[in-house]
Amino acid sequence: MGKLPPSMRSAPLPLSFFKPRPSPSTQTPNSSPAPETRKPRTPLYKSPAKQKKATKKIESGKAAAGGAISVPSPPQFFHSPALSEATAIVDSIADSSSSADPHSLLHSFCNAGASPTDSLALLRHLSLRFPSFSPTRSTYHILLVHSCLQPTIGDISPILTFLDLMSSSGFPPDSSSTDLAIRALCSASREDDAAELLLRGLSLHPDPFTYNFLVGRLAKTRSLSAVYSFIDELRNVAGIHPDRITYTILIDSVCRCRNLREATRLLGVLKHSGIKPDCYLYNNIMKAYCMLDQCGEVMEVYNKMRDEGIEPDLVTYNTLIYGLSKAGMIDQAKKFLNVMANSGYFPDIATYTSLISGMCRKGDTLGALRLLGEMEERGCSPNEFTYNALLMGLCKAGRLDKGMELYKVMTNGGMKLESPTYATFLRTLCRTNKIAEAYEVFDYARESKSLTDEVAYSTLESSLKRIK
Amino acid sequence: MVLRSATKKAVAESPKRLANLIDLANVPSTLREVVGQSQISRLGCFIRVWSYIKEQNLQDAVDMNIVNCDDKLKRILLGKDQIKLAELPTLIKLHFPKQPK
Repeated sequence: MGKLPPSMRSAPLPLSFFKPRPSPSTQTPNSSPAPETRKPRTPLYKSPAKQKKATKKIESGKAAAGGAISVPSPPQFFHSPALSEATAIVDSIADSSSSADPHSLLHSFCNAGASPTDSLALLRHLSLRFPSFSPTRSTYHILLVHSCLQPTIGDISPILTFLDLMSSSGFPPDSSSTDLAIRALCSASREDDAAELLLRGLSLHPDPFTYNFLVGRLAKTRSLSAVYSFIDELRNVAGIHPDRITYTILIDSVCRCRNLREATRLLGVLKHSGIKPDCYLYNNIMKAYCMLDQCGEVMEVYNKMRDEGIEPDLVTYNTLIYGLSKAGMIDQAKKFLNVMANSGYFPDIATYTSLISGMCRKGDTLGALRLLGEMEERGCSPNEFTYNALLMGLCKAGRLDKGMELYKVMTNGGMKLESPTYATFLRTLCRTNKIAEAYEVFDYARESKSLTDEVAYSTLESSLKRIK
Repeated sequence: MVLRSATKKAVAESPKRLANLIDLANVPSTLREVVGQSQISRLGCFIRVWSYIKEQNLQDAVDMNIVNCDDKLKRILLGKDQIKLAELPTLIKLHFPKQPK
């Protein structure tokens, strides 16, 4: 039970943040309405820091450059990646004086699967055939992203060559070029190459967003030591230091990997680094304490937040209530329901689920049932995690009658059983000689694909063994 | 709680126990009539026998925990007229003796 209920992990995010603004930049060749389609700018973390980063990102106006590249569906001019056919098509378009945009032509050629060299050749051809067209930075960005998306893992020399070409054409790569290249490399699962590109291409000056994005990706896909060595090397080579968001990402990822020792160490490092935590970082620290089974600490973190004048948000309250419930301090946790409401946050399903499972753990199943009723009254319908917690609590408290009722609701709703709940339920059923019901639950667990057949069966077998 | 679920997981995932459950074994002809296969794992066999019981409605109407065996079942379950559902896994296990290694 030492994990955050999954219902808590998916705090709703205002997705409107990610909707692109109409770009003010003249760089965008097509006024594309959805620049984020191919390379979602949403960081891959569901961390609360997400909202913030994304907002800043768009505010920084770099979305404009992104818009130049990831046009949702450019008109299909080319169907084969052969250069000779493409030039012929370009010639016919140029002669027919139809108003085709050279950028979309180039983009379409890249999408048709052309090699980077061919795309470059087409660019030269385009500037010959369209006299009014001169390549801009966004033209080069199309080609840059294209060469980063190539699946040649481990070979970044074409990208470096291309970056040199950009410099010599009068467009030295800036931070948006770096950002695009890194994101493209990551979306092609070339995280190692992305890290190497930053280490080798010293003319690239990654901004904090690019840097943190890459750290996040590395933390997700590579070992922790790889992430640390990347951070160290980049600090030595380019003088880039991890910032608050980097630590938020790191703490989040070690929590995800349940790396207790590392989480403790990071908390210590953070204390000494002199970084002032913000609400999101505090949320992650709280989560780390919950994971370290030092739930009592969440209260201290909360008090510290208040002392520093940081406004807690819904995630803070949910983590706080989760931690307090887990530590058995139900009364305190309940108090925060009111505090939440006073600051304008309404308890959601994660809040109630934490409270209910905390109450069940304390043996107050009747209170938990009451809370379930209260929750439904307030228009918050319980999900399978709530029911799982409650069912387990009822079984442990010997209220099998109520447990059976709840189980009926769960089967009707097609909800899955979690492994600990299933085991407790089976054991209780077997102990009260309801073997046939236990077999039914076994069938349901298999049907609903809650558990694998092997786990479901071995649990049933061991529960049956116990009764003899 | 953390510890307990961790140990349980370890048991379920222990390769030896898992192999014992899902390795295919040759079964005698009596069992073959029920399960319809000459090779089956202990897990598969249990699931087939249990679904056979449900299909044929062999559970006792008064006490659902008891199975009234039909001829086919009697042949594979030690010739008993009635068995308890609780002992079904043990009875199935008799057909899957430990492989001497």
